[in-house]
Amino acid sequence: MKALRTTTRGRCWTFGDNIPTDRLVKTKYVVEPMEVIVQHVLEDLNPRFPLDVAPGDVVVAGKHFGQSSGRAIAVKALRATGVGCVVAETFARTFYRNAFEVGLPVLELPGVTDLVSDGDVLIVDVAGGLFRNETTGVERAVPRPDAFLLDMLEAGGLIALARSRPELFEDQRR
Amino acid sequence: MVEKILARASGRRSVQPGDVVVAEVDLLIMHDLSGYLTSRVFDEQVGGEVRHPERVAMVFDHHFSPPTEDAAAMLEANRAWARRTGVHLLDCGNGNIHHAVVQRGLVRPGAIVVGSDSHTPVHGTLGALAVALGNDSHAGTVLPYGKAWFRVPETVRVELVGTPPPGTTARDVALWLVGRIGEGGLIYAAVEFAGPYVKELGFWDRWLFPLLCVDLGAKCSFVEPDEVTEAFVAGLPAGAPDRLERGDGGEASTVLRFDVGEVAPQVACPPTVGNLADVPAVAGRPVQWAELGGHAGGRLEDFRAAAAVLRGRRVHAGVRFNLVPSSREVFTQALQEGLVLALHEAGATWFPPSTGSNQAYNMGAMAPGESMISTHARNFPGRNGSPDASMYLAAAPTVAASAVTGTITDARELR
Repeated sequence: MKALRTTTRGRCWTFGDNIPTDRLVKTKYVVEPMEVIVQHVLEDLNPRFPLDVAPGDVVVAGKHFGQSSGRAIAVKALRATGVGCVVAETFARTFYRNAFEVGLPVLELPGVTDLVSDGDVLIVDVAGGLFRNETTGVERAVPRPDAFLLDMLEAGGLIALARSRPELFEDQRR
Repeated sequence: MVEKILARASGRRSVQPGDVVVAEVDLLIMHDLSGYLTSRVFDEQVGGEVRHPERVAMVFDHHFSPPTEDAAAMLEANRAWARRTGVHLLDCGNGNIHHAVVQRGLVRPGAIVVGSDSHTPVHGTLGALAVALGNDSHAGTVLPYGKAWFRVPETVRVELVGTPPPGTTARDVALWLVGRIGEGGLIYAAVEFAGPYVKELGFWDRWLFPLLCVDLGAKCSFVEPDEVTEAFVAGLPAGAPDRLERGDGGEASTVLRFDVGEVAPQVACPPTVGNLADVPAVAGRPVQWAELGGHAGGRLEDFRAAAAVLRGRRVHAGVRFNLVPSSREVFTQALQEGLVLALHEAGATWFPPSTGSNQAYNMGAMAPGESMISTHARNFPGRNGSPDASMYLAAAPTVAASAVTGTITDARELR
């Protein structure tokens, strides 16, 4: 179970710095059904992406990925494309939070944009703290996210975690 | 201050940066879109009762009047959900989500405020811990338990000193800071705005600083409560607070100091908020739309500034100058001060209190090649219609001066 959720192997899709959630899911699609949204993810930046992305693929981006609106739908749409992990130099914090909450593995790795090209085959293990570019042989160890975040990821997201462990959210201020 | 608030709300004696805590939430705010998405997740994946409906407010601000059948149906679904769960409902026309809940007295100093709108941290202006969370946080833990999880952030204090030259407003200083610190420059930080420049500003000018922290990548932002905060809160419906949460000055791990003494009026150019220029560097670019409104604008201060620029002048024939009050209270005051008539007669158009053209729900969609200059908080391509339209962000005097000439204009040139 753990390996399924936090490890992925797939082709690399690269994007730049400061990509806003608006460009993942445009405003005009936010209340559409997911089967519509998923056909338009990141289409303005790379029209091939929604057509060719395959399960397990890895999105690699620069700094401050997922800035702008806090819409969780942007993360859900990326997960719905089958992407196995997003690796970025840094993430906007609402995007980072949303990713763990909806069960999409993400990894912060400074300098990652210099380690990859479009189409490289990557292996990323978020829980194990490992990033590997199979095409070039480059490998990096990465600090693991906080245990609470990993618990959430392994549970399948925040709602699943709260269902399985409601005591975490019951009143501590008795 | 953030650490004190999180410790109290999580029932701990103290917390440290990096700790993950589950804390009691005092207010969840949702607008018509985030409310729709959150209520669907809650009904479909969580279910049950909303534990503290009095701590939840839904504000219809992207719409002031649904322009389509689908939008009308969405608002009706939201109304039905609000009635069923008993949460506060501020229907179309009350204003922009953040301004409206402040004007209603729903935000208190020292409170924990959450919302999925990314500008939720703006409530740190009142000395609240205000954080933007996702829809699954709200649906999964805030609605059923009244709780949310937080990682305790490091505090970075941004001290602003100096007095900017005449013609430079607080909005210009705030935009300039995004350029100086850089988008994503303070990821995960709690940003405290301090220093004599900030402390001498009135409440609604201070507001422009916590507003920008999302562009810096910060988790939250605040201005430590003082006599300005206390006087402002005392004038709201809920009255003066029982106590003001104050820091002990010891939390900041980093202090950044900026002298604002030579900041010129600013314009954020496409494609992002951090792409800043001094107004003279971009003056002369044509605009077809100008707007005072949005999370950063539509304040009384903006309409006063625009009226001063438009006195004895008219809006250019090639420009639609749209005015969107941030709240009903602002519109009332604008009426009483004569600003509504003055700006109407100068050729500007008033719209109902709302979030204005943000994301073009009611208004403000642009065709390819069109340009807008506004007080809004965002300028990403495609946000208001065509990705081939351009959005510029500026202070109210620059927006008004550009509306007069039809090109981006330095208001100081119109003196």
